[in-house]
Amino acid sequence: MPPALEVTDLSTHIKLSRAVVQAVGNVDLRIDEGETLGLVGESGCGKSMLGLSILGLLPNGGRIVGGSIKAGGRELVGLPERELRRIRGNEVAMIFQDSLSSLNPTKTIGEQVSEPVRLHRGASRREALERALEVLELVGLPQPRERLRDYPHQLSGGLRQRVMIAIALSCEPKVLIADEPTTALDVTIQAQILSVLDGLRERLGMATLLVTHDMGVVAGRTSRINVMYAGRLVETAPTERLFSAMRHPYTQALLASIPRLESDNTRALVSIPGIPPDLTKPPSGCRFASRCPRATRQCAEQEPPLSGDDPSHRFACWHPVDGPEIRTPTIAVRERSAAALRAASSTNGHHLLEVVDAVREYPVTAGTLMRRRVNSVKAVSGVSIHLDVGETLGLVGESGCGKTTLGKMIVGVEKPDAGRILLNGAEVFRLRGRSLRRVRRDLQMMFQDPYASLDPRMRVQAILREPLVIQDVGSRRDQDRRVRGLLDEVGLPANALERYPHEFSGGQRQRIALARAVILEPKVMVADEPVSALDVSIRSQVLNLMKRLQAEHGMASIVISHDLAVVKYLSDRIGVMYLGKLVEIGTGDQIYRTPAHPYTEALIRTIPLPDPVAERSKSDVGIRGELPSPVNPPSGCRFRTRCPRAQSRCSEEEPLLRPFGHGHMAACHFPLQPPAEGNGAGGAVAAAPDVSGAAEAAT
Amino acid sequence: MIGFVIRRLAVAVLVTLGIALVTFLLLHILSPSPVYAVLGAKAEPAAVKAWNLQHGYDRPVLAQFLTYIGNIIHGDFGYSYKLSQSVTALFREHSGRSAYLSGSALVLSLLIALPLGIAQAVRRNSIGDYTVTSLNFILYSMPSFFLGLILIQFLALDWGVFPPVVSDQITTVWGAFTHPLQLTLPIVTLAAINVASFSRYMRSSALDNLAQDYIRLARAKGLSQRAVLTRHLLRNACLPMITLVGLSIPYLLAGNLLIEVLFNYSGIGLLFYTALGNLDYNVLLAYVIAGGILTVLGNLIADVAVAVADPRIRLG
Repeated sequence: MPPALEVTDLSTHIKLSRAVVQAVGNVDLRIDEGETLGLVGESGCGKSMLGLSILGLLPNGGRIVGGSIKAGGRELVGLPERELRRIRGNEVAMIFQDSLSSLNPTKTIGEQVSEPVRLHRGASRREALERALEVLELVGLPQPRERLRDYPHQLSGGLRQRVMIAIALSCEPKVLIADEPTTALDVTIQAQILSVLDGLRERLGMATLLVTHDMGVVAGRTSRINVMYAGRLVETAPTERLFSAMRHPYTQALLASIPRLESDNTRALVSIPGIPPDLTKPPSGCRFASRCPRATRQCAEQEPPLSGDDPSHRFACWHPVDGPEIRTPTIAVRERSAAALRAASSTNGHHLLEVVDAVREYPVTAGTLMRRRVNSVKAVSGVSIHLDVGETLGLVGESGCGKTTLGKMIVGVEKPDAGRILLNGAEVFRLRGRSLRRVRRDLQMMFQDPYASLDPRMRVQAILREPLVIQDVGSRRDQDRRVRGLLDEVGLPANALERYPHEFSGGQRQRIALARAVILEPKVMVADEPVSALDVSIRSQVLNLMKRLQAEHGMASIVISHDLAVVKYLSDRIGVMYLGKLVEIGTGDQIYRTPAHPYTEALIRTIPLPDPVAERSKSDVGIRGELPSPVNPPSGCRFRTRCPRAQSRCSEEEPLLRPFGHGHMAACHFPLQPPAEGNGAGGAVAAAPDVSGAAEAAT
Repeated sequence: MIGFVIRRLAVAVLVTLGIALVTFLLLHILSPSPVYAVLGAKAEPAAVKAWNLQHGYDRPVLAQFLTYIGNIIHGDFGYSYKLSQSVTALFREHSGRSAYLSGSALVLSLLIALPLGIAQAVRRNSIGDYTVTSLNFILYSMPSFFLGLILIQFLALDWGVFPPVVSDQITTVWGAFTHPLQLTLPIVTLAAINVASFSRYMRSSALDNLAQDYIRLARAKGLSQRAVLTRHLLRNACLPMITLVGLSIPYLLAGNLLIEVLFNYSGIGLLFYTALGNLDYNVLLAYVIAGGILTVLGNLIADVAVAVADPRIRLG
């Protein structure tokens, strides 16, 4: 029996106006019926183009220049468009990353799911709708009959992704290509979607190509993994083998550069220097050579073939490694600045930053003649945190938990509706004029998207100097000296000053953004999803840099992310937020090893680990259901609708933050471990008064 | 939805009142009374005074305005002293002809521009696309009367396919309908200018939508190119066009002005043109206010139409 999908020596080029991108070069892959193959690589490595090549859906200028694609033994390359159309959506189906833009905004769910059935099966409108209902049930969409008439924007991201899977499955395809199917989703929803895909593969016997950049996603869900780098397949092996005994240095470095929950965060992450090569002019030898620590002259001159003693484990490297290497240097702090030393010595009784009972709500309006406020989105509902000099606090939670709004309030760009924000004991929002401007110097923010957060028409020099000019710090010469010094610190060459943001890669831009945030030597820096937009190999470079700068400048920081591993790597303490509430706070180890709140525990359990053994041993998907609306949050404990331990008390009474020893606090009536007796443990005393006071006020 | 329409209508009424007030005041500054237009520039001061007293032009401006608004509400736009008819009757007679001209031109231009824009977007940066873009640019930057003159020269005077001016016998819409050759040139002229601007917007809107993943998903379903374009792209790409068409309604009226004068077609534009020449006070006032109302209405209709066509706006 032929494999469900077999790709041999496939090359795809994309013609641009002046150059040709060699997106996919000589790639082989093979998936049997009922098997899931993982295709892993960073952005621009050609993994999506490979997926699109299979369906003949390449963008303008894209063309398969060589090789063969066989689906169930039938050659697809060179097949006329008319024949290909009969295969698309019928025998080979595809799902994409972004479920909002992948569904037609002006057609109902029912129309969109039933369309392929009408097309390929010639079913009537009625029969097709019946079939749509069936598949929507299959993918676990709640109340599918009611959803048929809904439009995509009325559904949450997770439900839309289920709809997209239903569209792909409506004609029972033999091969499913899933291109980053969960990248845009929160971890709890990601776990649900992955388990839906897994279950369907088993029940329908589909061959699945799971394309992703996330090693954690493929670890537990695939039988084999292909690793791509710069258009080439660099390694292919059975999943467990790839994780435990990889041979290609790129695979090794990729795995080692992922921050892990269980690892010690005083050690630096392995980072791959440099950026991937330009595929319009690929290097003649090994494409990874310029970033590889083991590269020799042979690597630069001769391209290594994909080979290996074991036909099931092949790799393309002249000097292969032997399994994962544990190589974790400590963070090298170059020199503590004067400001850092000064900051460390000045503690005058209160916390550096205190947020007391902060509330932020956005009005929802309605009305025929007069718009009136009918309700509000409860973005942040009474959160209290504090931050000490030189400390890093991580805020973690799913989208919509209020972590970004809280961050914006801390740097003073969003005004709290109630509650106070104090810097060195002075209330930020009471300040006016000069003193407000002075305080802004101490509160700086670093944003998620390095493409949108830097003015495209300003040179790097001007971007970095602007905060100094606004705050009137030093003479022009001092300012220039400071800009040059900092540029060196974040690892950018001096000639970067005269260039514009678009001339830099994402990672370099994030370095510029980081430099812009620290140039005023702020007391507190808020970093909102600082590495979410970056590729894995670039991510560790920026994380290591942030960690070093924190230490050298003695800044206190707040790191906001949906990624618990990133937060744990950067932070001393972690606050877990859920639907506008702080549900648990404690040190990284307390949160990870002894979580008290069921939400924290479930969040940790749903994070896909880059470890096939650990992933396969997971018994369930973690958290069921969807995030409730922040307009009408559940009464009592906001997590109770999704909590396995919920009882009637949870809906009646809001749980307060209670101490669990050594500064560890959680807000749960039925915690996973008994709370500390009274005000027992030493560390809790410092945090207890303001936080419990806040919780009382909130009830 | 109904609340939304009611709210927008209330705003529309207020805006229209504002336009009327400003127009009224401006015209009043220009010429406080139509008396000289009626009695002649060398009229006796006593006669002027008597005429003003008789027709209420001696009262305070605001009182005159309120009376005027009161009359408008009762459908009375005053009296044209030049044409010796009520303005309402004049408008009733001419507006149908203008609407026929504008309406046909609008429909024709949409029928051409929508498919043209999509075709350009699908074959973007091809020779065809560049050619159409260049032609559009030329048309777009050309004043409508100039294009009209060129068309008259070639199609009417040189080759004699169409009449150069609309015959006086075409007095009703029905007449225009039964003599299609008569109105071909004005409609084509007006439509050509609109095609130029509409297809440009349609092209960029279609390009935006073609880049969206839902188009890729539609192809991945196995739909043919034609089905992808008609079933998925067309409606979404047309959404921004609705607003554009709504906003262009008053421009059609202005376009009519030149075209009607050029082809001697007796619509509202020509009426206004004549009124300008002999300071036909109430006709001028009514025309400007009608323009204002059309603008406000065009906006309102566009907003409602967008809400109807786009579930994201309709259902929030």
